[in-house]
Amino acid sequence: MKIENQGECVSVSEILELTAANSAHFRDEVRSALSDSSSLIEINLSQTRFMDSSGLGALFALYRATAERDGVVLRLLNPIPEIEQLLELTQMQQLFEIVRR
Amino acid sequence: MPVPQLEPARPATLRLAFAPDLASARAVSVAVRNFLAEQGVSEKELFTYELCIAEASNNAIEYAMGPNRNLKPIAEALFTPSQIELRVTDHTPGFALPERIAPPSPLTERGRGLFLIQSAMDEVRYLRGTGENILVMRKKRRAARSPAGAPEQAPVVQLTLETCQRELTESRAKMAKMSEELLLRSETLSSIFRCCAELGRIDSESESFEGRLLVDLLHLTSADWYVLRMLSPDGRKLLMAAASEPDLATETISLIGADYTPSGIEASVAMSKVAARFDIRENSEQSEPLRAVGPEGAGLVCPLCFGGTLVGTIAVGRRVGDFPLGRLQDEVIRTFAEFLAIQTLNISRQRKEVRNRVVARELEIAKDIQHLLLPRTLPQMAGFGLAGGLQSAREVGGDFYDAIALGDDSLLLMIADVMGKGVPAALFATTMRGLLLGLAERSSDPAQLLSGLNRLLYKELSSVAMFITAQIVHVDLKTQLLTAASAGHCPPLFIPYGSHSVSSLSMQGLPLGVLPDTVYPQMSARMGSPAVLLMYTDGLIDARNSEGEAFGKRRLKSWLLSNSDPGTNAPEQRDRLVAELNRYRGDTAMDDDQAFLLLTEDRAAGTRAAAPGARRSRQSASPLLSPANP
Repeated sequence: MKIENQGECVSVSEILELTAANSAHFRDEVRSALSDSSSLIEINLSQTRFMDSSGLGALFALYRATAERDGVVLRLLNPIPEIEQLLELTQMQQLFEIVRR
Repeated sequence: MPVPQLEPARPATLRLAFAPDLASARAVSVAVRNFLAEQGVSEKELFTYELCIAEASNNAIEYAMGPNRNLKPIAEALFTPSQIELRVTDHTPGFALPERIAPPSPLTERGRGLFLIQSAMDEVRYLRGTGENILVMRKKRRAARSPAGAPEQAPVVQLTLETCQRELTESRAKMAKMSEELLLRSETLSSIFRCCAELGRIDSESESFEGRLLVDLLHLTSADWYVLRMLSPDGRKLLMAAASEPDLATETISLIGADYTPSGIEASVAMSKVAARFDIRENSEQSEPLRAVGPEGAGLVCPLCFGGTLVGTIAVGRRVGDFPLGRLQDEVIRTFAEFLAIQTLNISRQRKEVRNRVVARELEIAKDIQHLLLPRTLPQMAGFGLAGGLQSAREVGGDFYDAIALGDDSLLLMIADVMGKGVPAALFATTMRGLLLGLAERSSDPAQLLSGLNRLLYKELSSVAMFITAQIVHVDLKTQLLTAASAGHCPPLFIPYGSHSVSSLSMQGLPLGVLPDTVYPQMSARMGSPAVLLMYTDGLIDARNSEGEAFGKRRLKSWLLSNSDPGTNAPEQRDRLVAELNRYRGDTAMDDDQAFLLLTEDRAAGTRAAAPGARRSRQSASPLLSPANP
């Protein structure tokens, strides 16, 4: 996992999986990377091959962290179709800005 | 040429026990994924199965409590081309799995696992046990995919409106037939269950269980009559057991007889044990005696048979018109027939069992009663021994004996046989013993005693057409003089003074209860030394061996002669006589009771101990040696 703090944007990438085994770590790392100047969190899921309900829980925890700060956007970048389906099934797609590029 | 897809007989299986931590659970999910990938499962499906196994494994770890936290959960994957089953065994306290889990709110951090599993799989079950539970997740798979590389081909079917409609009609017809069959089967079953339940509940009405079952049968097969016949216990006849209407209840059908060939359809079904159809319009003769159904009747006769044992026959059918007897109706009737046969056999077995128990219990009671009739102890006189024997046949009989000491030197001995069995005979025996005891206060004369007993018992005996044979012997132990009178009873045996052979004191005399006033002759004789006297009932001499030959008086006499040596006491001799009688009879059943009284002298007369003179003899015996005047 790689976290880049580029001023307003915190960009997270190289996440191979988000599971019960690593999601708490992921959540805490990303949360601690946030600063008052952060207005966008971009989580690049293009390399994420697997996610379970704990991974979803971690994403929700980040959503809550951004929701507490007005105007901060949480963007999920390029999830694989299986994960996108997972987000839809759990109605969580409405919490995030899902972007493909 | 397409390669046929083969379904393996057993699923490919992966089974992993894993350390109870999340990292191990993750490793297990990956292992399951890899295992399924090896089976050729597509990437998209793999994600689903990996997710399900991960959720279940995580739960197994997160919800374990106390020392169970250290137990290893087990993950399993079973693969066949048509189904994938995943299982996770946990050691948690378990939970109640709802039929359907509603989607959780997106605004929660936890609690999505089971929802995801239920959404992804076709069937989810949670089997709760003590200490461990198993979450079973199944998903059906579409028809196996073509081997890797080969393009999937959709079957080419030209669908036209006509073919669609035809197929729809066919399907509907098939469905209707299937549901009819299902309904019929379920009604058959429920009818049988109803019948079973009633059989368990009632015992008094078990006769009519067939009737109730058969009404159900008519309803199910759209028949309008039935005739049930049961095989007679000797297996020679078919007896009418039940019929839907009285006019069908025809007479008994003989199956076996001299110069007799059974005719009629029920007889031939019973003989062959094979079901047969009949139609009176086609073959009126052969349908006998079911012609009573009417000139246009038709139906089926089925043997009631179970395990090769014929119990009866059942005929069902319609009075008018065709009896629709498809495979299904046929099957229903056969099911009923088999069930009826089983139940009938069961009931008859139960009845036999109950009957046997009742007989055994009656026999026990009878033996108890009979032994109550006998004196508990016999008087023991100095220098003499007295012993009695009684062997009961099947029923309680009326054989009994008694002995009354009249002072120290004389004895009154009685043996009797109430002609009749059961409790009435026992009652007379008890009464007679009581009366004798009373009469003996006034007289010790056997003839007078018998007359007295007859007078007192006559009314009661004649009113129930019973009578009693009895023998009374007075024994003067000092003079060894016997005085005897007989009321139609077997004469006593003894060895007379100065003789070396056994004689009997034979006298005429009517049994008690024949005439109101009867006078009995009496006779006296002196015994030799050592003295021996045997009084007995006819059961002894009438006892038969396996060849049907009676034991007889001669055999009894010769036994007495060879067993009259001094030195053996009366109980020993009694046991010897019982043993001799049993030896003679062998395995042959006893027809009648056997009772006897045996008086023996212990030693030669000179060695006899002097009788203590405390008690006075009430009456000395008549000194007559010839028949006495009554």
